[in-house]
Amino acid sequence: MNEPAIKISNVSVKYRLAKEKPKTLQEYVIHRLKGRRIDYEDFWALRAIIFEVDKGETLGIIGHNGAGKSTLLKVVAGVLKPTDGNVKVTGKIAPLIELGAGFDMELTGKENIYLNASILGLSKKEIDRIFNNVVEFSELGEFIHSPLKSYSSGMISRLGFSIATEVDPEILIIDEILAVGDERFNKKCMERMTGFKKSGITILFVSHSMDEIKRLCDRVLWLDHGRQRMFGDPKSITEEYQKL
Amino acid sequence: MAEALKEAVEIIKYKELLRNLVARDIKVRYKRSVLGFLWVMLNPLLMMLILNMVFSGLFGISTKNFTAYLLSGIILWSFFSQSTSTSVVSFLGNSNLIKKVYIPKAIFPLSVVVSAMINFIFSLVPLFIIFFITGTSVGPHLYLLPAILIMVAAFSFGISLILSTLTVFFHDAQYIYEVLLLAWMYMTPIFYPESIIPQKFISIFHLNPFYYFLSIFRATLYMDIPAIPEKLFFCLLFSLTALVTGWFLYNRYKDRIVFYL
Repeated sequence: MNEPAIKISNVSVKYRLAKEKPKTLQEYVIHRLKGRRIDYEDFWALRAIIFEVDKGETLGIIGHNGAGKSTLLKVVAGVLKPTDGNVKVTGKIAPLIELGAGFDMELTGKENIYLNASILGLSKKEIDRIFNNVVEFSELGEFIHSPLKSYSSGMISRLGFSIATEVDPEILIIDEILAVGDERFNKKCMERMTGFKKSGITILFVSHSMDEIKRLCDRVLWLDHGRQRMFGDPKSITEEYQKL
Repeated sequence: MAEALKEAVEIIKYKELLRNLVARDIKVRYKRSVLGFLWVMLNPLLMMLILNMVFSGLFGISTKNFTAYLLSGIILWSFFSQSTSTSVVSFLGNSNLIKKVYIPKAIFPLSVVVSAMINFIFSLVPLFIIFFITGTSVGPHLYLLPAILIMVAAFSFGISLILSTLTVFFHDAQYIYEVLLLAWMYMTPIFYPESIIPQKFISIFHLNPFYYFLSIFRATLYMDIPAIPEKLFFCLLFSLTALVTGWFLYNRYKDRIVFYL
């Protein structure tokens, strides 16, 4: 229990917004020939974020829209490289940032399971091993051999969720619990999530529901305009947040 | 430098994804077509027939083994042009994935080159059948075939990396390349024999990397041409240069790509 699962050291993420940025080679050349410099405006999506998440801990992340929550998740998932600072993640990550990333409508459910799981970094042997469990949890039955374009949106979400959670991650990143299916299936998902908590999986959880945060999280990070406003006890922080 | 090596290791780790991307490309491409996978072989054949009629029939070019000459040029060029022109938009086209999940991005242009390579190998079948029909005998250098395949693949991958990275920052790169590719095609002796190139322009044609790839490819298949070792050297030089340049350019800018998608 010494090594934290996630270690964020002084992480900042800067987006460079160029005013009138030439988007084509043609514009760029003309721009340079005219001797014009490009004016940049720096937007810091995250500024000097410092925290650690221990193994098996569930960290909630709250903040208004645009506070930098998704950016932070992307930094942890390895999608974005921080402009400053360091990210250290120990363990395999399954991001539920969008279910079914990479799903191809023309391919069958089975083919998409292999595609999606390989996007999450699994080898063929590992996918073979989890395949039956995925099909079972998704409750898709024979539909698994039909192309995805014949699926309803609920079926697609169920498949996405099943794959991401069967991947057996050590760290789960959830960007707002998406409505995955009907009442009954959502209950199954919640059960699985609490099961994860019990088995010691580290969870990063973004939500706007203070009830869920208080119920599931061990600690909370409150992001405000890219800065770390509060970090610690869920009850007190959510209370503060709701005061606003 | 270390970053570039780490990236290569990452790509190897994701080889199951590579396999799935290639499989997806092949399946989706031919799922709806009537002739399916046969089209891979039929396409160059039909092209060759038309070009044969135009160039030897209409323009009266009578090179020995003109059919083999044409077909070999067509399929090698198709390999290169297909992989590069599809790769140009591979980062842009997969932006939804790149923005959501960590993936070593070079895997996208790599999967395009691998798919094109598979198509290329399959089109060798009708090529050898045509050889048999037209009585073109296979040359003494057939052992060079794997070598030339790898070198053209490396060259294509290098160019693909440069183009796909560039297009993220400059969207019109794809259109500029389209035109460039067309000019490049005409500058390569695919449809016409080298003999019709005017003397004063020959040195320009010899600056074209593809001139060397094509010469060696034809030599491998059936022709015996002069200066094979020198041409092989140029092939190696161009393919390594493209690969190294592409790999370093990609590694330098890959972390910025996601901000521009």
